[in-house]
Amino acid sequence: MRSILFLGTSSGAGKTTVDALYCRHLARKGLRVAPFKASNLSLNSYVTEDGKEIGMGQAFQAWACGIEPTGDMNPVLLKPSGNGRMQVVLRGAPFMDVGRGVPFPRDEVMEKVCESYDRLAHDYDVVVCEGSGSPVELNLMDNDMANIGMMRARGIRSVLVGDIERGGVFAAIYGTWLLLPEDLRPLVKGFVINRFRGDASILEPGIRKVEELTGMKCLGIIPYVHLRFPEEDSLSDSGGRLGDGSIHEEFVKNLDELLDAVEEAGIDFDALDGFLSA
Amino acid sequence: MHLPVSKRGGRTTDLIRKQVESELEKGDIGCNVGCDYYPCHFEGQNCSFCYCPFYPCEDPVMGYFVTSRSGKPVWSCEDCLFCHRNEVVDFTFGKVREMGLKAGDPRFLTEVFPEAKRRFWHRGKALMVLGATSDAGKSITVAALCRIFHRMGYLVAPFKSQNMSLNSRVTAKGSEIAMVQVLQARAGGLRNADAHMNPILLKPKGNTVSQVIVEGKPFGDYNVPDYYGKFVPGPGIEAVRRNMDFLKDRYDYVIMEGAGSPAEINIYDADIANMRAAEVADADCVLVVNVEWGGSFAYAVGTVRLMPEKDRSRIKGIIINNVRGDPDRMRSGAEKLEEILGIPVIGIIPHMSVDLPSEDSEAFRGQMSKGTGSLHIAVVKLPRIANFTDIDPLCMEDTTVEFVDTAEGILSADAIVIPGTKNTIDDLVWLKGNGMFDAIRSMRGKVPILGICGGYQMMGRVLHDPDGIEGTVPGDTAGLGFFDNESYWKEYSKRTVRDRCEMIDGGGEVEGYEIHMGMTDVVEKPLFRMTSFGRKDEVEGSVREDEMLYGTYIHGVLDKPAFRKKFISMIKHEGKTVSTGEPEDYDDVVDRNLDLLADGFEKGLDMAALKRIAGVGE
Ligand code: SF4
Ligand code: SF4
Repeated sequence: MRSILFLGTSSGAGKTTVDALYCRHLARKGLRVAPFKASNLSLNSYVTEDGKEIGMGQAFQAWACGIEPTGDMNPVLLKPSGNGRMQVVLRGAPFMDVGRGVPFPRDEVMEKVCESYDRLAHDYDVVVCEGSGSPVELNLMDNDMANIGMMRARGIRSVLVGDIERGGVFAAIYGTWLLLPEDLRPLVKGFVINRFRGDASILEPGIRKVEELTGMKCLGIIPYVHLRFPEEDSLSDSGGRLGDGSIHEEFVKNLDELLDAVEEAGIDFDALDGFLSA
Repeated sequence: MHLPVSKRGGRTTDLIRKQVESELEKGDIGCNVGCDYYPCHFEGQNCSFCYCPFYPCEDPVMGYFVTSRSGKPVWSCEDCLFCHRNEVVDFTFGKVREMGLKAGDPRFLTEVFPEAKRRFWHRGKALMVLGATSDAGKSITVAALCRIFHRMGYLVAPFKSQNMSLNSRVTAKGSEIAMVQVLQARAGGLRNADAHMNPILLKPKGNTVSQVIVEGKPFGDYNVPDYYGKFVPGPGIEAVRRNMDFLKDRYDYVIMEGAGSPAEINIYDADIANMRAAEVADADCVLVVNVEWGGSFAYAVGTVRLMPEKDRSRIKGIIINNVRGDPDRMRSGAEKLEEILGIPVIGIIPHMSVDLPSEDSEAFRGQMSKGTGSLHIAVVKLPRIANFTDIDPLCMEDTTVEFVDTAEGILSADAIVIPGTKNTIDDLVWLKGNGMFDAIRSMRGKVPILGICGGYQMMGRVLHDPDGIEGTVPGDTAGLGFFDNESYWKEYSKRTVRDRCEMIDGGGEVEGYEIHMGMTDVVEKPLFRMTSFGRKDEVEGSVREDEMLYGTYIHGVLDKPAFRKKFISMIKHEGKTVSTGEPEDYDDVVDRNLDLLADGFEKGLDMAALKRIAGVGE
């Protein structure tokens, strides 16, 4: 079993998409791949065939892998229920309400998360993990599960995804790396720059500098394309049921096209294969 | 009013002496709010010396020589603020009494002026707002700081060395600058923004070429390599220096805005919008990060650490912006950030929804409609739309303003606005290709339709562009045919002018500005009559009242209530009642919101820290 973790420099940096692309890349090579995201904060969920509630992103990533989603792929789902309270869905079933004086039982939950991860790791050749938000929110880091939580618990190697659209992508990548605990930095092997428009050669000097400063390798630049996850669109109104399945076929078709485009644009997924944690 | 006057005396100098004589008799009159031009410089200015007793001081930090029509050098006081400062007026009247001075006394220049300058003139200080990302909230922060310093009683000007924007305005002197700096100037109490505040304006033309406007006038078209290779190191950095010096000579504070991220290390040395500008201005900086998308601590740390030491040391504070919910939840992170960087977090600013004109990217990132009123106004979302802030005042009425790019969106509207565009011909071709052209034509006479600038040109019969100056393909293009006007592009030139006019059929005043390359032969009944000085016989626009068709070149036509109310009141179908609130000037709404914005920042900022950085009271 091998694994990798995609971290984002912010939410919306494109982790979910890059993760799905990589799932697809491995699946097309004939490997048995499963997606995993330790915890998701979302109101948009999908109900698996065995009745487990998980984040929509992992459902689509599972289809990208050519498999059916299961509860283990997103063991913790946090659903804001207003008034500062949050429902914790653990392995697909409601577990407890937290917030307003009720603390989150992080360690207890993390144990279950690791069990889910281990099960996938046992059953598949590769587990492609997705982080949550930014891994270095100074006010939240101590309780993290999906990012440094998993890195520490299972020593998973990672790749940073930075979004260039809003500017400051070098700062975002370097700053994220700097704020990671020193013992975990060696696990972060590379970075990807997402949503670029124009002539990529202009970025060269900046990329070299970040590589020099951090020892990470730039795995490529993803051109600006609109591949929206259905969870961001009105499809989420389906209440978790996607009916006849044609939506996810359409999605996988789009993903195939995007993957071709991205590989053509020079994303080095083969280099990524070399980074997979043993 | 400082009319340039012949240096070598003569009749005009006599005139000034007479004026000064009567000013000295009247004494300190404070603000002359009754004057049509008030405030010609800044809100709260002292008008006692509308004509200056020191004229002509010939001091280059106050005024400058211009060339008169007859070719003679003339001392111009147009940009001098000095004699409108209360302390200067006060001091001067004191001296007048003490020394028994009369208008024209040479001691005004030999004694009073030098001492006033020694006491009250100092070079202003530059403060710069940097953003970790392009949407960090820099513009809004600059606007808030301008208002905060203005409220403290300082003279403050905004500055953005280089702005890339399709939303520009024409200043009183006919210069073109970015809309945002005009708004920030207003926040600083200045009604007359000028080109010094945005010396370089880039207007993207597509294909990675931009029109470069320097000090308000077209300078040339540049592609990316030439811009960074040729323009920036030469005329670019010089323009930044020249205009920064000019502002510092006249204002107490210059609040600068950076562009994008200051840590784009791939183009670091060629970036004159951020740390190079800070260096030229010797500015202390604050870095703003937007927490909306997360990762803000990483952005802050990365931005600071990627800079060379000499630049890093300019950053004196960090502002955490756009916090939803309880700001205190950021506190522990902010403390750690301070520890890591050794730079204080001087503000945690809550998310605020203020009604201010918005800049390009923000307005179009996802937001397709504004307001929840009962009248649906469709704004045609042209691919090369320009100056779409023209539309903002419509939101003051009982409206939902929607940017539409389909025929269906047009057909269900209660009123249609065709806005300005960077390229009338190409956008007209686009309209024809997607069915909106026919949809708009089918709405003729059913709902009110307004075309502004490029949209006005489209409403005509035909658009002639024989040399392909505007469109990609040279030739004639048929317009919507609502008016019998014809527009043409004959030469590569641009009209930029400010207009003040009134509605011909009565109803009140309208103010705005024109920026366009094409010209129109108008054969329709005009909409406005000019009231601007010296242009009383000019008319503007076209109207077919019975068909509810309106066209004008004037950007900002909806700002004043007169025409806006008229346009809205034409909507009458399906029993919809048109309730329009109190007629209000959009400028007043903007002012009120600038105050709200400044209030919000004052609450979230560590004001003592800000004052320390700014050197307030030093
Ligand atoms: S100085 Fe005062 S009185 Fe004179 S033109 Fe300006 S606003 Fe009017
Ligand atoms: S002090 Fe100002 S207003 Fe007076 S003469 Fe000099 S430039 Fe003109």
